Amino acid sequence: MITKEMKISDILNKYPETLEVFVRISPHFKKLENKLLRKALASRVNVEQAASIANVDLKQLLYELNKAIDPEFQMHSDEKDSVNEQNTNEYIPDWLINFPEEKIIELDVRQILQSGKDPFLDIMKKVKELKENEILLIINSFEPIPLYSVLAKKGFEHYTKKEGNIFKVFFSRSTNLQKISEDKLQKKEAKLEDYEKVIEIDVRDLTPPEPMIKVLETLSQVDEKTLLLVHHHREPLMLYPKLEERGNEAKSYKINENYFKVLITKKGNR
Amino acid sequence: MMNNQISIAGIYSPPFRIVAKYFVAAILAFIIFNFMLVLNYKNFNGHHFQPKILSINHILTLGFITMVIFGAMFQLVPVVLEVKLFSTLLAEIQFWIYTAGCVLLTYKFYFFTSKLSFELPAILIATGMTIFTVNIVASMIKVKKWNITGTYLSSALFWLLITALAGYLLSKNLDTPFIKINHLQYLKLHAITAFIGWVSMVVMGVSFKLIPMFTLSHGYKITLAKWAFILINIGLLGINWIMHYPDTKFWNLIFGLLIFTGFVLYIIQIFTIFQKRIRKKLDIGLKFSVFAFIMMSVSTLLNFSFLFFEYESIKNLTLTYGFIVLFGYISFLIVGQMYKIVPFLVWYHKYSSKVGLEKTPMLKDMFNEKLAEVQFYLMIAGLFILIPSLLIDLQFLVLIAFLFFAISSIAFGFNMVKIFRS
Repeated sequence: MITKEMKISDILNKYPETLEVFVRISPHFKKLENKLLRKALASRVNVEQAASIANVDLKQLLYELNKAIDPEFQMHSDEKDSVNEQNTNEYIPDWLINFPEEKIIELDVRQILQSGKDPFLDIMKKVKELKENEILLIINSFEPIPLYSVLAKKGFEHYTKKEGNIFKVFFSRSTNLQKISEDKLQKKEAKLEDYEKVIEIDVRDLTPPEPMIKVLETLSQVDEKTLLLVHHHREPLMLYPKLEERGNEAKSYKINENYFKVLITKKGNR
Repeated sequence: MMNNQISIAGIYSPPFRIVAKYFVAAILAFIIFNFMLVLNYKNFNGHHFQPKILSINHILTLGFITMVIFGAMFQLVPVVLEVKLFSTLLAEIQFWIYTAGCVLLTYKFYFFTSKLSFELPAILIATGMTIFTVNIVASMIKVKKWNITGTYLSSALFWLLITALAGYLLSKNLDTPFIKINHLQYLKLHAITAFIGWVSMVVMGVSFKLIPMFTLSHGYKITLAKWAFILINIGLLGINWIMHYPDTKFWNLIFGLLIFTGFVLYIIQIFTIFQKRIRKKLDIGLKFSVFAFIMMSVSTLLNFSFLFFEYESIKNLTLTYGFIVLFGYISFLIVGQMYKIVPFLVWYHKYSSKVGLEKTPMLKDMFNEKLAEVQFYLMIAGLFILIPSLLIDLQFLVLIAFLFFAISSIAFGFNMVKIFRS
């Protein structure tokens, strides 16, 4: 079992699989991927110190690390008297405990999926609308793993609860996030709720330059009130200048190595 | 999981005319090469160290293969590594210095007794290659997201410089002998470094990007690619070291085995990428490429066997091997990839701004695919006629094979002109 006194380097040597956990939990830990930096930094720092450096919850970090090396791992309930008895085998983050239910905004994406659409935009829209003191609850039929990191970039922590066949994922704004960077993010982002129409195309099974042709051909339908969502198998670097030429702009979200969501809009939209 | 919100990338690609210039020169060199084969078919027997063979060989390796790689890297490095090319002007200057060097060197080899020195063309070529390396390294310094292709290309640049240096020393040695070890042994170092260090490192590195892109393949691991890189480069360093000593036997075997294992790992890696492809149908460009990978496997096996017997004592075996590597593996691969890349570049340059606004051609309509198929089968037929007839020294059949090659190169030239003019 991993404890808060253990040195990061010892943990990584003994359980290399925990590297992924570190990186996932905080971008601060990305440095650990570099072997030289790992040697330089990690040999003097224990888990507790690392958690405070990276501004992550120590308990959650310990839980995730232990879970990674032992799927059967259970959190000791000695410090957590308030935790519901029947849920002792589940760790519940502090921010969710005793959280007023009316402040939880619910979004059930199962129907959206059933209608054959991608719920990504609806989720992002809800995220935008979410107030400081609210929590977003996504209900889905599978665990939306890619969403975790997309929202983590926006400063959200998540907690996932499995109930039978459905997954309930709670997202809360991390309180530690520096407000400045958040403001920056928001300024850059076009406001999703301004768009009345969304056109969705999937070019993942096309070879170059067909993805580009399809996007450019669809572009004539994109006006000030339309958002074009492209499912792409890589980042379309060569497309960007062409969009620029036509007064459009694009933003790509990396979902995984072979899946990018590209949002295209008219330039200069507020 | 490092899912990012990625900022909009700038315009990375270099100007079309630079890449086009290198490609046009390369296509010309390829056609010239094929016709020189026909004109000099009688020279293709006996030892490979003959002026005419050396001249024709360099038309292919410098004029076609390396020229194409230069052009392709100006285009690919910015896209694959997401940086801007350091200098277009350097690429332009390099072209003229390098091309002058190529013309003079092949001329001097061909007319061996002419007054021209070997050193001058060698200096020009080495200068061109150095400018290229500086240009690419200066671009690479700014790379933020490194990948396996970048690693392969970096080592390729290193080996390019070693090849150029060895080539320069060899040329000086032809003017006034000074190399203490056997000239032919040093030539071997030059050739091994060129084919494995420069050409194969580029081919392998680029293939990890292009093959998945054209076949829509993903979900494979690249562990083997990493090991192949390590083994081949250790092997090459070793070979470059031992070739400076008179007795190479034992270490040649060790380092040769390392390189062999590296190639085997690479071939398995490419096979797994092909297996995971979504696009099952192979178009003409990929047909050429698949045949090239088969020939690469054949040459790897031949190379393995060469570690255990005196292959140079078997008449024409080295020549045959040279054709399998240079023509069967490298030329097939380049021709195939050009059928994919050139139409795309021309299309992107001329039509991408017009898509959706007016009618634009499909890539497939930009060249005659039937003719490309004919070229493919002519090249294969030529190669399969050539191999046995070289080995049993039937000059008449060698000529037939070369004629097949020459006709196929015309078809290639025709298609390429059609693409550039469409």
